[in-house]
Amino acid sequence: MIARTSPIVRLAVRAVTPIALLIAAFVLFAGHNQPGGGFAAGLLLGAVIVLRTVAGLQQPRHAAVFLAVGGVIVGLEALTPLLWGQPLLDQVVVSRHVPLLGKVKTGSALIFDLGVVAVVVGLVIAVLDGFGAASLVDRGRRPIDDAPVDASVDTDSGRNR
Amino acid sequence: MIWFLLVLYVAAASATATLGGRLGRNALWIAAVPMAATALWSLTIVGSDDVVSAGFDWVPGLDVSILFRVDALHALLSLMVAGIGALVCVYSAGYFTSGAAGLGRFAATLVTFSGAMVGLVWADSVWTLFLFWELTSITSFLLVGFKHTDPVARTAARRALVITAGGGLALLAGFVLYVDAAGTAVLSDISPITGSTATAAAVLILIAAATKSAQVPFHVWLPGAMAAPTPVSAYLHSATMVKAGVILVAVIAPAFQETDVWKPLGLAFGLTTMIWGAIGALRHVDAKLILAWGTVSQLGLLIALLGIGTPKATFAAIALLVAHAVFKAALFMVVGEVDVRTGTRNINELSGLRRSMPITFAVALVSGLSMAGVPPLLGFPAKEAAIEAVLGLEGSERLLVGGLVIGGAVLTVAYTTRLLFGMFGRSEPMPDRRVAPSRPAMVVAEVVLAFATVAGFVALGGVTQLVRSAAVLVAPKAEVYSLLRWPGLTTAFIVSMIVVVLGSVVGVAVARRVVVGGPAARGAANVDALIDGIGRAARRVAGRVQHGSLPLYLATTVVMVALASAVFVVEIDADALYWWDNRAEAVLVVMIVAAAVAATTVDSRLGAALVLGAVGFSVAGLFVALGAPDLVLTQLLVETVIVVGFVLGLGRLATRFPTATRLWLAGRIVVSVLIGAAIAVALAGAASSPSGQPPVLDLATSAVADGGGNNVVNVILTDTRALDTLGEVVVLLTVAVGILTLTRTRSRRHHEPTESAT
Repeated sequence: MIARTSPIVRLAVRAVTPIALLIAAFVLFAGHNQPGGGFAAGLLLGAVIVLRTVAGLQQPRHAAVFLAVGGVIVGLEALTPLLWGQPLLDQVVVSRHVPLLGKVKTGSALIFDLGVVAVVVGLVIAVLDGFGAASLVDRGRRPIDDAPVDASVDTDSGRNR
Repeated sequence: MIWFLLVLYVAAASATATLGGRLGRNALWIAAVPMAATALWSLTIVGSDDVVSAGFDWVPGLDVSILFRVDALHALLSLMVAGIGALVCVYSAGYFTSGAAGLGRFAATLVTFSGAMVGLVWADSVWTLFLFWELTSITSFLLVGFKHTDPVARTAARRALVITAGGGLALLAGFVLYVDAAGTAVLSDISPITGSTATAAAVLILIAAATKSAQVPFHVWLPGAMAAPTPVSAYLHSATMVKAGVILVAVIAPAFQETDVWKPLGLAFGLTTMIWGAIGALRHVDAKLILAWGTVSQLGLLIALLGIGTPKATFAAIALLVAHAVFKAALFMVVGEVDVRTGTRNINELSGLRRSMPITFAVALVSGLSMAGVPPLLGFPAKEAAIEAVLGLEGSERLLVGGLVIGGAVLTVAYTTRLLFGMFGRSEPMPDRRVAPSRPAMVVAEVVLAFATVAGFVALGGVTQLVRSAAVLVAPKAEVYSLLRWPGLTTAFIVSMIVVVLGSVVGVAVARRVVVGGPAARGAANVDALIDGIGRAARRVAGRVQHGSLPLYLATTVVMVALASAVFVVEIDADALYWWDNRAEAVLVVMIVAAAVAATTVDSRLGAALVLGAVGFSVAGLFVALGAPDLVLTQLLVETVIVVGFVLGLGRLATRFPTATRLWLAGRIVVSVLIGAAIAVALAGAASSPSGQPPVLDLATSAVADGGGNNVVNVILTDTRALDTLGEVVVLLTVAVGILTLTRTRSRRHHEPTESAT
């Protein structure tokens, strides 16, 4: 595959990564009033990880960590209101005036969404890991010089697996 | 105080369970603390008119509450349960060597059991009783299976669990019917009920009691439970758990005594069990099994006495309940000590231990004679009261019940004589066996119990007071009865003396026989075969249903969905439906259908994945046309990730689909058309009959007001229906864990082929 060996693709993915992260963050925060939210942000991050994995920049790892952190955040967010005698998952809305940004309105739903992000990212990583994307990365890491030879061998071996 | 003691039990159980490994035998002392405390507190209540109660509403809507009530009867029972429990802990400290494995587990289970039993005897609502009843079944299972590496113990534990838990189900059903008929779940508000519901409840509750108290034909688990360590047998299978059924019958009897079935069924269970158990005790040469079968027999007598239901019989039953707990626990302890010190429990291999183990012999003699009903010991007045109660019956009942009880008493004396004679009698030296040194902790516990047997007779007035104050709570007219030290030459006394003489003769006569004949007891084997059979059948059914073929699973689901949506056909109103909101939808639908059809005809897997992606992206376009930007965003991202996932996964498969047979193709087409039609019908049905305002208006106002957001979709996700989202997160987590587990297993098998081969 070209993606793993082409320096152009790898450079492009590297350049896109921070932008995509920024967009993901925007989608997460915007979610309350505009299209977006935790699930979408998680999928965006997942797509970034997919790109970076396919480009051979990153190993899909630590799925369990993401899943565990996400699960715990969501669970705690759900149970915390009970401590104050509120119903399960009850939300608190905070509205503050912040310098530079103006009036910022957010709530405990944001924490809930953060947990959802972590779970979705963990799931994407788990899928990548499960389909053996790690092997792509190993081959992608090889020196770019012998790339043409490598690529032809790759397609065969990948198929025979 | 009730809560304090129960919390103490929980604390002791947690401490021993977590620190068990490091504590060694000290775990047993920790376990003894709550039991000793409970016993001491019970002493302050027992025999008095005091009543202490506690409780809370558990499920107010269903009228289910946790209630405890400690009166004279409950205190007497908890004194017995906790007092013997504390002694068993002391005894265990001698029984187990300091390095014995699993002592923490043992202590934790024992103290949990004891707590459950105390909760059971203190229970004042049927639901509380049921809760602790089940807890005793489970802890008993764990204790019987304590030596979990031994298949015999495992089988015995499983048998005990299946029978007692089955009884638990009967109990639950019985209690539901009882509460329905009586209108109250509170046991202290008990009043007689009649009618068909009451009859059914009576039968179910008696069956439950029979499973727990090892009545024929449910008795088969009890002898098997002797696979447990002897302290467990001494505690659970003599003094406490098996008494739970008797206690249940005693406390619930006032409600059912006027139903037609209560007395005959109780008597049938009790009398059969009494005779069959005594015969079983004569048949075995393992001292522990003799005691186990003896316990079965005694439990039969208790159930029979409670079945008779006269105040005199109830009074006798409670006296006998206490006396039996004391002497039977002591006898089990004696057998355990003999086992530990000589290495055998076979009465044909043992002989002449009266010289080498004099204190143990004394304990055994006192407790054994108490069991046989010989004065001057506590068992005598209790047995005397029982015989007097059955002689007090009239007509044919007197003949039948009286004859059987007296016959059972003869057999009891016989197996007691045989046991004592076998272990301690005779003088021929024991071949090849040395008697190990005595272990003080064991002896202390035994002596305390033997002392109680003697002291109970000496201070019979006090015991009478305790028993009477307890018995009047079950049968108010029992207050006129007393336990008598010397009843005079009454018929009952003459009968019991004849019983003792006759029984001793029989006992000595059969003592030398290896095994007494009679029909073999095959019940346990049959029960095991039944359980195994159910297991095999379940595996076969599961193998059929869970065949592992993904296409078939999918087909099953689709057919079910189609059947479920078939009813919506009648709801469709063709006039209310219209083709489209705007024309772009029509174009997109054509694209979707074209791509979907293409997906079925493409013969390369990669092509199919891409065409499916086209379906997904077209659907996103449809969402755009319908004005749902949130769905568009999510759909696009999901499709992207899915297509990449497909492409990655396809690297591991052949490029082309395998060729399918004609039949298989036809089947797939049918299933596909079916799911499409089913969804279309359901949607058309739903769209045909809109009712009232669309909910979106309410949601839109509440989203801003309660959720603090303007994006209604997201406020629904994170606030209005956040519980659904939470559920979805759990689904995602489950799926992810499944993927990780599956792929890890696969890669391990891939890398280490030798492991799976061995």
